[in-house]
Amino acid sequence: MLFVILPMITSLLLSFTDYRIVNTPKFIGFENYTRLFDGTDQYFYNSLWVTFKYVILRVPLGLVFSFIIAFVLNMDFIRGKSVFRTIFYLPSIVPAVASSMIWIWLFSPDLGLFNSFLGALNLPTLDWLYAEETVVPSIVMMSLWGMGSTIIIFLAGLQGVPRSLYEAAIVDGAGALRKFRHITIPMMTPIIFFNLIMGSIGAFQVFTEALIMTQGGPNNASLFYNYYIYRQAFQFGEMGQASAIAWILFMIILLVTVIFFRTSKSWVFYESEV
Amino acid sequence: MRKGKRFAGWVLSAVLALTFSLTACSDSGGSSQSQTNGAGGKEEPVKLKFSFWGDTIEKKTVTEALKRFEEKTGIEVEPMHVPADYLTKLTTMVAGNVAPDLGYLSSGAALSWGADGKLLNLAPLIEKDPDFKKEDYLDQVWYEIAPGNVIGMSTAVEGYGLMYNKDLLLEAGVELPPTEAAKAWDWDTFVEYAKKLTLDDQGRNALDPDFNPEKIRQFGLQYDPYNMMAAVVSNGGNFLTEDGKGFGLARPEAIEAIQKLADLMYVHHVSPTPLQTKNLPDTALQTKKVAMTVSGNWALQAFAEQDFNLGVGVLPKLKESNTLLDGAPTVIFQSTKHPEEAWLLYKYMADPESVLPLIEGGLWMPLKKEWYTNPELINKWAAGNKAHPEGYTEAYMKQTIENGIRTPGFEVKNLDKINALVTPALDLVWTGKTTAEQALKEVEPKVQPLIQGYYGR
Amino acid sequence: MSRKRRISQWTVYLILILGACFCLLPLFWLVRSSMMSSLQIFEMPPKWIPSPFHLENYVEALTTIDFFRFFRNTLTITVSCLIGALISSSLGAYSYARLDWPGKKFFFGLLLASMMLPGAVTLIPTFIGWRLAELINTYVPLILPVWFGSAFDIFLLRQFYSSIPRDMDEAAYVDGAGPWTIFSRIIIPLSKPPLIVIGLFSFMNSWNDFMGPLVYLNEESKFTMALGLQMFQSLHSAQWHLLMAASTVVILPVIVVFFIGQRYFIEGITLTGMKG
Repeated sequence: MLFVILPMITSLLLSFTDYRIVNTPKFIGFENYTRLFDGTDQYFYNSLWVTFKYVILRVPLGLVFSFIIAFVLNMDFIRGKSVFRTIFYLPSIVPAVASSMIWIWLFSPDLGLFNSFLGALNLPTLDWLYAEETVVPSIVMMSLWGMGSTIIIFLAGLQGVPRSLYEAAIVDGAGALRKFRHITIPMMTPIIFFNLIMGSIGAFQVFTEALIMTQGGPNNASLFYNYYIYRQAFQFGEMGQASAIAWILFMIILLVTVIFFRTSKSWVFYESEV
Repeated sequence: MRKGKRFAGWVLSAVLALTFSLTACSDSGGSSQSQTNGAGGKEEPVKLKFSFWGDTIEKKTVTEALKRFEEKTGIEVEPMHVPADYLTKLTTMVAGNVAPDLGYLSSGAALSWGADGKLLNLAPLIEKDPDFKKEDYLDQVWYEIAPGNVIGMSTAVEGYGLMYNKDLLLEAGVELPPTEAAKAWDWDTFVEYAKKLTLDDQGRNALDPDFNPEKIRQFGLQYDPYNMMAAVVSNGGNFLTEDGKGFGLARPEAIEAIQKLADLMYVHHVSPTPLQTKNLPDTALQTKKVAMTVSGNWALQAFAEQDFNLGVGVLPKLKESNTLLDGAPTVIFQSTKHPEEAWLLYKYMADPESVLPLIEGGLWMPLKKEWYTNPELINKWAAGNKAHPEGYTEAYMKQTIENGIRTPGFEVKNLDKINALVTPALDLVWTGKTTAEQALKEVEPKVQPLIQGYYGR
Repeated sequence: MSRKRRISQWTVYLILILGACFCLLPLFWLVRSSMMSSLQIFEMPPKWIPSPFHLENYVEALTTIDFFRFFRNTLTITVSCLIGALISSSLGAYSYARLDWPGKKFFFGLLLASMMLPGAVTLIPTFIGWRLAELINTYVPLILPVWFGSAFDIFLLRQFYSSIPRDMDEAAYVDGAGPWTIFSRIIIPLSKPPLIVIGLFSFMNSWNDFMGPLVYLNEESKFTMALGLQMFQSLHSAQWHLLMAASTVVILPVIVVFFIGQRYFIEGITLTGMKG
């Protein structure tokens, strides 16, 4: 734990200092924080807004999507499960350099697959990654495709739902939908809860896509919060400032997580606590 | 309340001072001894760490050069090739007080670290050294924090020019771009020719009234907005005003140049938009997707390996014919325990002879003036090889040494932060959403407070 | 089987296959690019099948960088991390899910909190820590933290343990079993699927980790494959064909490990099915 906690404390301390890597940190009180809120820093509110947009789209979509896929992959009649599971996991294995090349092509306004498809259906084409309005949804689309890990966790969870429960339900004459609603979902709540928390923590810290594909553009429309921190820290060398920005994100994520935990009592079902 | 705050400040400073002095102390151990030649005492062998980036070819050449230096001088050198995210790695090392002795550095970091005293001032070393004359090297390559505080020179010279696929120009009956500054195309001629070279899917060029700009098969040229400063300086503008107080890009001459670049995309349809550029391969010239391109000499290394009839020329001019000169510096870190030896290595790596394969291969241009004028030396790199086609000596070498204007990276203070505002504003211009005038005037008041003038003046 | 049922099954299959094609696309793309010349890769509209096949890309990619040394290094780190992750997370999660100890809630909160601060700002303090311990340019900073448990793994396992009915340990408890016996005889066998998941993730993480090796390793002889891959890319140029060939070789073991690992899920079913 010390590996983690000490650096965290150090960065908290640094957030109250003027530290630009090359100098000795100097205590400056809350200055790093106030200049964010009073608008001296021109990117803060923008990147918060962009990140919120991403989180609100990404987290629910991601959960629903991967749950459905996991559920289908776990159905009894499906053959070749191993192959399907491996295939659905693939996008998260392929190195970002390769997958980003494909997405650049898929999203390409001129020759890309998506626009050719839209064009064939006589729908208006989009600029995807290259327009302020569509860049965040496009990145959400991309990230949904790399949902392998969440699917796998759901799958592992579905394996743990005791069969006897389903068998008992069939004896009671329950249909597929009722089994799903009254057995699968409640038994899965701890795992759904886990993926909700992890998905949110991860989504707030979205980074790689911005770094590789958009560099925060166009016109800062994908300047995600974590990318903004990285830029402040390693491109501008403003480590004190970057720490302050990071700790605000920390507080936000913490708040969201605490809310989730508080509400979890009413819907997360732990077998062991019954 | 105030007391509490002061107390917090005190605790904080104490903790931080402790952590950071701990890291500092443990390193400063033997620094003083190693320089004085202890009489009879056993000398610890000097070991230098040299950090650098670059592709596999550059890595090989630099590593070999370091090895030769080792053999020649007996000073041990540890090459540290950083394959990616160079600045993150170096920042971490500097913060942890384990910086290398010397190495490449991006210009922005070099200037700000230099200003904070983390880089060695080379001026005293240069002065003491009878073998080294500053005048032997190009005047434009020096990085200075202030007069008398020299933190280094470019690792290599990089100059801009026009590169083209000769066959495409001959086919279209377009005159080949001139290689002499005095004969450089003016802008209208340039646009005219570019139009002739831009073809749609039916083979009609951009001068044809039926030309379809939606379906372009071959672009007349590629003038990447990334290289826009070349047009700006050719129109007599610059990033900041001459006195270093104003935002030069918002001045009429710069706005005009930037608008002209945007017009290449959206009015004349001869140059790919940023969106279209994403679909262009590195091999656009060879595969006839693009007829001419504006780029730095480094591109020659890759072009030399491709199979097409490459030609070079000077950039088209707006007001005056000149070019942009670039090159991130190599620096010595202040924390080195062996400044004398580091300087020996620095000198060695600055000598074109040591890194000849990179210069011959087209990636770099030499730092020494003589290599641009002495025919015997020119023969060593710029004559008779594929990376340096006919006309290169004039179009790139002569133009760079005589009319090379330094990029803002050499001297503009706070450049990274200013660019963080300017780049998104210009995005709107490059995507055709606003005019250059509108975008730059709008961002000017935000940029103004960040302007701090020039280093080295 | 009713007709209606069969139709709905076929629809499910169809959707799965469509989704699978979409997921296979990147791998296909990677492999086809790895066998093309750098010219062919960028042809527009894209070519699906390379012609001619440039298999020599593989030879060139694997000889340009010291591939086998990187492979060995990566394997060393990955295996050490894998063992560490399994041991530490299963023990850690057990104590959070089943045992009662003072400050448990607080430490669990701390554990979660440690994931909420972006790594960019803890990188330098962490580096300074390892520097003070004189462990820079070794594998210790990459391996040791995993042995102390990753927050993600512990949290994940805790969730799974929580869904194992408590009456099972109570029954064992009555039979005179201690916490250790319960852990090794009941909890571990019942949580095979999540343990496999953790093993897979740990394997993936250290296999692909790029930032850690970049920051902590200086000598090329210690580099990992993730760093090696970066050598094909540079500021002005990239050797795409070699990069793609090397990437293919790098991900191959991951696919194999995954394919083998996920088979044990099935075993998980029968086990939990029996006991439940």
